[in-house]
Amino acid sequence: MNSSTVLRRTIVSAIQQRQLSASLLPRTLHTSTAVRAKSITELQDAPRKSVEEVGLGRVNREKEFPKIILDVKDDITSFNGVPKEHIHERTARIYVPARNTMQSATNNSRTWKLDFDVRERWENPLMGWSSSADPLSNLAVTFSSKEDAIQFAEKNGWNYFVEEPQPVWKFKPKSYGLNFSWDKKTRVSTK
Amino acid sequence: MIRPRGRMLNTVCSVAHHHFNPSSSLVLPTTTTRSLSLGQPLLQAAKQPPAVVPDNRVELFIDDKRVLCEPGTTVLQAAAMVGVEIPRFCYHDRLSIAGNCRMCLVEVEKSVKPVASCAMPVMKGMRVKTNSVATRKAREGVMEFLLMNHPLDCPICDQAGECDLQDQSMMFGNDRSRFTDIKFEGKRAVEDKNIGPLVKTIMTRCIHCTRCIRFASEVAGVDDLGTTGRGGDMQVGTYVEKLFASELSGNVIDLCPVGALTSKPYAFTARPWEIRKCETVDVMDALGSNIVVNTRGGEVMRVLPRPNEDVNEEWISDKTRFAYDGLKRQRLTLPMLKNAQGVLEPVDWEAALTGIAAKVSRVEGREIAALVGGLCDVESLVVLKDLLNRLGCETLCTEEAFPMNAAGTDVRSNYLLNTKITGVEEADLVILIGTNIRFEAPVLNARIRKAYLHNNLRVAVVGKKTDLHYEYDHVGDTIQALEQLANGEHKLSKDLAKAKKPMIIVGSSSLQDADGAAILANAIVLADKLKSGSSSGSSDHDWKVLNVLHRHAGQVGALDVGYTPGAGKIKELKPRVLYMLGADAGVVTRKDLAADAFVIYQGHHGDAGAEIADAVLPGAAYTEKSATYVNTEGRAQRANVAVTPPGMAREDWKILRALSEFIPGASLPYEKLEDVRHRMADIAPHLLRYGAVEEANYFKQSHALVHGSKRPSHSGRALAPPQTVLEDFYMTDSISRASRTMAKCIQAARHHKTTKYSVS
Amino acid sequence: MIRTVPSRLPLSVSSSVVPASSGVWQNGPRRHQGTAAAAAPAKPKKTKFGPLKDEDRIFTNLYGRHDWKLKGAMARGDWYKTKEILLKGHEWILNEVKKSGLRGRGGAGFPSGMKWSFMNKPSDGRPKYLVVNADEGEPGTCKDREIMRHDPHKLLEGCLIAGKAMHARACYIYIRGEFYNEASNLQVAVKEAYDAGLIGKNACGSGYDYDIFVFRGAGAYICGEETALIESLEGKQGKPRLKPPFPADIGLFGCPTTVANVETVAVAPAICRRSGEWFASFGRERNSGTKLFCISGHVNTPVTVEEEMSIPLKELIERHAGGVTGGWDNLLGIIPGGSSVPLLPKSTCETVLMDFDALSAVQSGLGTAAVIVINKQADIIKCIARLLEFYQHESCGQCTPCREGTGWLNKIMWRFVEGNAKPEEIDMIWELSKQIEGHTICALGDAAAWPVQGLVRHYRPAIEERIREFQEKTSAGNSPPQLKRAASV
Repeated sequence: MNSSTVLRRTIVSAIQQRQLSASLLPRTLHTSTAVRAKSITELQDAPRKSVEEVGLGRVNREKEFPKIILDVKDDITSFNGVPKEHIHERTARIYVPARNTMQSATNNSRTWKLDFDVRERWENPLMGWSSSADPLSNLAVTFSSKEDAIQFAEKNGWNYFVEEPQPVWKFKPKSYGLNFSWDKKTRVSTK
Repeated sequence: MIRPRGRMLNTVCSVAHHHFNPSSSLVLPTTTTRSLSLGQPLLQAAKQPPAVVPDNRVELFIDDKRVLCEPGTTVLQAAAMVGVEIPRFCYHDRLSIAGNCRMCLVEVEKSVKPVASCAMPVMKGMRVKTNSVATRKAREGVMEFLLMNHPLDCPICDQAGECDLQDQSMMFGNDRSRFTDIKFEGKRAVEDKNIGPLVKTIMTRCIHCTRCIRFASEVAGVDDLGTTGRGGDMQVGTYVEKLFASELSGNVIDLCPVGALTSKPYAFTARPWEIRKCETVDVMDALGSNIVVNTRGGEVMRVLPRPNEDVNEEWISDKTRFAYDGLKRQRLTLPMLKNAQGVLEPVDWEAALTGIAAKVSRVEGREIAALVGGLCDVESLVVLKDLLNRLGCETLCTEEAFPMNAAGTDVRSNYLLNTKITGVEEADLVILIGTNIRFEAPVLNARIRKAYLHNNLRVAVVGKKTDLHYEYDHVGDTIQALEQLANGEHKLSKDLAKAKKPMIIVGSSSLQDADGAAILANAIVLADKLKSGSSSGSSDHDWKVLNVLHRHAGQVGALDVGYTPGAGKIKELKPRVLYMLGADAGVVTRKDLAADAFVIYQGHHGDAGAEIADAVLPGAAYTEKSATYVNTEGRAQRANVAVTPPGMAREDWKILRALSEFIPGASLPYEKLEDVRHRMADIAPHLLRYGAVEEANYFKQSHALVHGSKRPSHSGRALAPPQTVLEDFYMTDSISRASRTMAKCIQAARHHKTTKYSVS
Repeated sequence: MIRTVPSRLPLSVSSSVVPASSGVWQNGPRRHQGTAAAAAPAKPKKTKFGPLKDEDRIFTNLYGRHDWKLKGAMARGDWYKTKEILLKGHEWILNEVKKSGLRGRGGAGFPSGMKWSFMNKPSDGRPKYLVVNADEGEPGTCKDREIMRHDPHKLLEGCLIAGKAMHARACYIYIRGEFYNEASNLQVAVKEAYDAGLIGKNACGSGYDYDIFVFRGAGAYICGEETALIESLEGKQGKPRLKPPFPADIGLFGCPTTVANVETVAVAPAICRRSGEWFASFGRERNSGTKLFCISGHVNTPVTVEEEMSIPLKELIERHAGGVTGGWDNLLGIIPGGSSVPLLPKSTCETVLMDFDALSAVQSGLGTAAVIVINKQADIIKCIARLLEFYQHESCGQCTPCREGTGWLNKIMWRFVEGNAKPEEIDMIWELSKQIEGHTICALGDAAAWPVQGLVRHYRPAIEERIREFQEKTSAGNSPPQLKRAASV
């Protein structure tokens, strides 16, 4: 997916106007019921509220808070404090990790992963531990979809490329009887 | 895209919870699609539009989820379709079913006993319970028995951390042991077996799943492994101590679900949890097998395959897997220049590049030539070509030759494996011309063997008789035999002409000398003959017949960006400056150059190329650069950086880019790798379409040129591929030549030949 | 010749004989394979079984007192008008076998008529085979060897008739490797039959081409399992296959195959000559026919004898084996059907009938009808431990529960013999045997589990007693003195 693509982003607004100040947000959210009360910082003595009331309890967020769709790109590079070098010169790789062929299970190959190009690593001469000067070397983020990963990379201003997963296995019904079939080369000779 | 993965599942089997309307079973609720699709193997059917669903499918329920699948599917496969993973040890998707570990037992309603789901075909209305009390109890019981004689030496076992037995005992086993007999007679102990320098055996850990045996006999085609003894005394092994003589032997390490078969070179060097994984591609042969390079602290610890159905399935050759220690030896780590005494001495980059620039600037552009080896990536090839073209040099050659008569390499379809690797499984006839495919592309050979077993693929061979691990019709040794076949005069001609989907695979190893032109021309004539014969009977008019199998990972890329195959032009030119980029085959010697020639070698190993060089620039090996390789099918694949180049070595394109700064008027405009890649896309857009095969189809035009001209003459020699016996397989390039493991393999293979247990 | 049902009613009606739990044959509608037996409602229900009259014996040379060769066999009625039987066609033969209610004599007791009829699916070009399982290895069983060395022609004629019934192209007789003399006699008989034109091309002049091959095994108990036998015949290691596919679908060399026991096949000619009804008139319904019983162990005269099915176990032993050594009251338990079926305690042995249903009703089985008698002088735990040692040794090692489980059971059993165990291990061995049973590829796992289950079910106090004795012995003699002192304080 091209980096210039504008993503339609769905935001679940988890903020109730009465409780959290809009100033905590990077930009104003326009809600349909936008009747703004005093922000919490302006109140002298804030009344104590239950967990449910502040939206931390078990609530149906989808239902309770309206969805807002914004046609803008997120960009947090201006204020996240990451050195420029690690924003502009790094390339993130978005991919589905391959199943480890040493194992049968496939759980690790079910999500999308984002990690970075490898920089120099060395063995620490004192203890033999692996060392690196790269703050991003241990960053490996897991996403449930490619789009999420792309969005995350774009938000952070990283260059990225997406590696589409290759077909892992072609489905073919297997038959135990083929081991013994009389005219096929699939007959098993060794045990 | 995520959605099609879910959809593709449905073309094979539609899946839905049983309470959904059956008629809408092809459409899944979005949430289900996502969670399921991620867990599913990517099925190839995805690429085709959803076909009309056949009606003979069987309906069954796995954990109350409705599954529709083809008759003959096993319960375990059906469960996989709905994302239910049934534990297993002996079952493997790419091996035949054994059904002996009993771990996959599941409860089936109305069945008295639990059923081995890996072997049980689906039946209509079956209700399978993969997580019921009875199922869990059965698994727990099996697990208890498996662990009873298992040594539980996980702390000193190399498999620990990625061990199926560990995983599954945590998941399905009991949390304590009842095996009180450990206090009386102890556990079973089995003597370890020596089956060669690659696979280490600790047979006490064996759980007798027989995966290795089945791999050896089915995929590798050597019946070296088997069981001896009975009951608790059963042992897996070679019976007599001998080498497991296969070029694919390392795969049994992956297959072994426990630590009975582990990697000898890797033994005790690293743990799975301290390892970093880098998914990349292999360059040891021209298939571009997908691999995962495992590193720790800037060192390659091991190489594992990465499943890719279109390329290497799940296998890699022993060279791919074990030659990595060659990356740590014989490396060029410092730039070097010859001093006044004619001795190479280390210098810094600036001095090296200045020195080279001075020599290059002194000669005319047409007196310069470049020679590239088989391991070069497309990026560095493009940059080198741009640099030298700017200087007015047009003599850029690859070490590997290719006949240039008729269309030569101008037409891409002339030098690709056009039917693709997967084409082998559709084909009904493969004619191998002048290639020992077993050593030139072991994984492709395994696929031919697979098709030979499962599809009754017929194989014919023109060239020296060797053991390919399957039966074949031997057409003849010589080019005359090929000529007869092409003219339809051979005794097999009529028989072979019946093929509906024939494939001709010409080995590039046979195209290296003057006879190459005749071999290729005859192959083209034969291909056209078979094509016209087959297209009358078959509906597939797009079926391509002619294929070329290359030996080197960089060759197709070099041809794609316009390098001239073969060093002939260099020998004619006698250049005064020769730029060798990873050229280690020793094709060009000092005698082929002008007397005062200045030779620059850029590459990663001190091998044949560096030996004759006046200047040496240390480059990066395939694990150390982000690079593009085009495999023999024309499939562009991206290699990623697993470790950084050692010492002062740098990525190759950067070296060339830096050099361009030192040569007046040659400065290249690339700042970043992306710029180089944009340039590559200008030359050939397919080079950036990673993972995809760019098809080529100019057969008619190129073949017309062949038919139009006289068939080239030839010496009538026998077609003898350079690699004939196992020991020839292990060392073919600068990396594997530097590998001690490969040296040990050769030693073992040579020793094996002297024993009475060697077959060939 | 049809044998009439005896008119006199038995004196002791078997209601007292029948264990209360069984009820297998007493009430409720029952399906029967044959039609004739069911179609005679007027006949009074037979309640007295055995002894078998001499004229009803099928195996008339069981003891080898007569000539076993072709001449002698023909004198005893073998090969008499076999051609006519063959010419009646396969359906007629199948029907007779179905009517006879013959159940497989190899141990599982599957109705033979039904099994043979599975072979009559339309041919897809593959040949069909009959394989005769003469790999008689079950401890205590010695019936097939008697047939093969003393009446081989009965078997060969049976092979021909059974082969005809299932359109088999050939028959393979897989004979146990240790049976040297039996194989030799059988081979001679095959040669005689070929020479006489009874088998081979145009067998008996019926136009049916039929070959019989004798194949000697290499001595593995597991090769008596039908799919392992097929594997062994194919030249591979004798390791059982999973089912499905059943041999009737993919069997020997990938072709439809029926594997039948020697005795099952050998009685087929008699059934065809004397009619299915005659055969069905012996024994209880669904358990009809005559049967070779092998009585061994602690009896005065161990013997293999042909008797009517459903004969009471006690009568069988008393009449034919000279009774239990030391008298009936000296009886401890009986393994009624070869080593792989669970033990019966003496109380059950008093009344139980020797047939499939009655024995399965008492949680045992008829198996091969090899009655192993154990008297009170025997160490029952050691007897079962010895059996476990056998199963451990004979496990093929293919599948996990049996490979590992039999060894484990064996280890525990030998500690039980000594008493060197904890009482809770009795429950553990029971659970382990349940973990093996039904979880393996073939029935060897079950066979190994059942003796243990029989022991724990009926003789648990004996094991507990042994353990207690051992603990007393060790704590009395071997415990360190300071412990004793502490105990006294």
